[in-house]
Amino acid sequence: MSRDAARLPPRGARSQGPRTGSRLRAWGRHHRAMCLDSARRLFKHPVGSLLTMLAIAIALVLPAALWLTLDSARLLDAELEESATLTVYLAHQVNEAQAGRIDEAIGAHEGVARTRLITAAEGMAEFQQALGLADALGRLDDNPLPASVVVTPLDPTPEAVRELAESLQEMTGVDEVRLDLAWLERLRHLAELGSRVALALGVLFGLGVLLVVGNTIRLAVESRRREIEVVMLIGATHAFVRRPFLYSGAWYGLGGGLLAWGLLGLGSEWLAAPVSALAASYGATFRLPQLGVAGSATLLICSTLLGWLGAWIAVSRHLAEVRPR
Amino acid sequence: MIVFEHVGKRYGGRFDALANLDFRVERGEMVFLTGHSGAGKSSLLRLIMRLERPTRGRVLVAGHDIARLHASQVPFYRRQIGVVFQDHQLLLDRSIYHNVALPLEIRGVEPREAARRVRAALGKVGLLHREKALPIELSGGEQQRVGIARAVVNKPSLLLADEPTGNLDPQLSADIMALFEDFNRIGTTVVIASHDLALITRLRHRMLRLRDGRLVADEEAA
Repeated sequence: MSRDAARLPPRGARSQGPRTGSRLRAWGRHHRAMCLDSARRLFKHPVGSLLTMLAIAIALVLPAALWLTLDSARLLDAELEESATLTVYLAHQVNEAQAGRIDEAIGAHEGVARTRLITAAEGMAEFQQALGLADALGRLDDNPLPASVVVTPLDPTPEAVRELAESLQEMTGVDEVRLDLAWLERLRHLAELGSRVALALGVLFGLGVLLVVGNTIRLAVESRRREIEVVMLIGATHAFVRRPFLYSGAWYGLGGGLLAWGLLGLGSEWLAAPVSALAASYGATFRLPQLGVAGSATLLICSTLLGWLGAWIAVSRHLAEVRPR
Repeated sequence: MIVFEHVGKRYGGRFDALANLDFRVERGEMVFLTGHSGAGKSSLLRLIMRLERPTRGRVLVAGHDIARLHASQVPFYRRQIGVVFQDHQLLLDRSIYHNVALPLEIRGVEPREAARRVRAALGKVGLLHREKALPIELSGGEQQRVGIARAVVNKPSLLLADEPTGNLDPQLSADIMALFEDFNRIGTTVVIASHDLALITRLRHRMLRLRDGRLVADEEAA
């Protein structure tokens, strides 16, 4: 059945239904009007609006901050991966010339970026230096250390490194291949745990935003109940009634997002000094992560959408209850 | 225009607000609906406005069984009916102009065309000079005339009024009724619920009398 199904018969020079073009223009006009009108209503009660936006901002800041931290942890992780190396210990009976050939062979292996040969003598020297045991080790007749090759893999992911280790193990003259990936994997597990916690928090706090907006819009609907009843009596569609509230919700979301953005900026400003001091004490440089353009846009779009959605849920729930008298 | 076929409306499973109503209102007719308060006048109008559905029987408006309209079509159906309420249902935070413009805003009428029609409707009820006023600044009779302007601004082919003279003195009431007669004269079907027998018998239009939800008399215009 079309919308015109119940059209009463035209009377005299009664105008026919508007054409699609003008209907679209009317729709756009109403959107524009409601967008501005709902903004005006926010400014009419600046304190109340600000409090609602602040509540939204606080709900957004925590997951956003956690997400940022994880993002920087991921960057750190990538850097660490690059420094992942394998140590290939050669058999005892391998002499220096043979060691050189094995080093070349390993260098020619696919999946290997760089190699560095540490001869038995060099190894001994490093060892003595590191442990300060020059005297004790000097008394040994024989150098107990084997020659070794430090291999930097092309692909630093744990799976690829492990595969490379297995194939290097097969080479003649190789005694043992050591790879220390445990700490890298531990870090990755931690990051995984963190991102799940961030996701869970994000969902929870997102629901929080929906509730905050929903409650505010519920009150707005309640205070304009009479108006809603009247316009429904004279033929307003649900979409027409819903529209101003959806815009209010979106404005609350956008305002909350902007506040959250500001809070994040302030927070990282505030933490920057101690963080870089801490990093310096480890001999590293570490900059607190910034949201950037894409991150800021994501934050604002998400908060606006959440506000809109919260309003939609609140108004729809309420419209079912509002029945014209 | 309006056909009631064995219409009954029951509330709460026991109380019959309307029972076995059978009548028709022709296009261009002017009909008074009368009876004591509680006789079912408002319930009957609510059925025509599709605010409620009959528990039995059928209500046809312009040949359509309006109970079968889908919920999404109801707003479009209501836009074609002008309704005047006893408590006029004006929005107190909007000017007279914007109150009258409301049905046009809902229909998405282009603003310039809307302004023309609002002024025409306000001129018709004699309130053009008050367009910037708020409803609260107007007298009861004036508020009711604003309600009428809002009901007719869409040029509906059916005009319903529920006790439009409820709280007005006799002279104002007669003025209001004269307005309805004007609209009827240009072809609008008009149905008015009123218990002001003294006034409506003088006007000599068809009268439907309700008592306890039943049609007890259908008196043609004298």
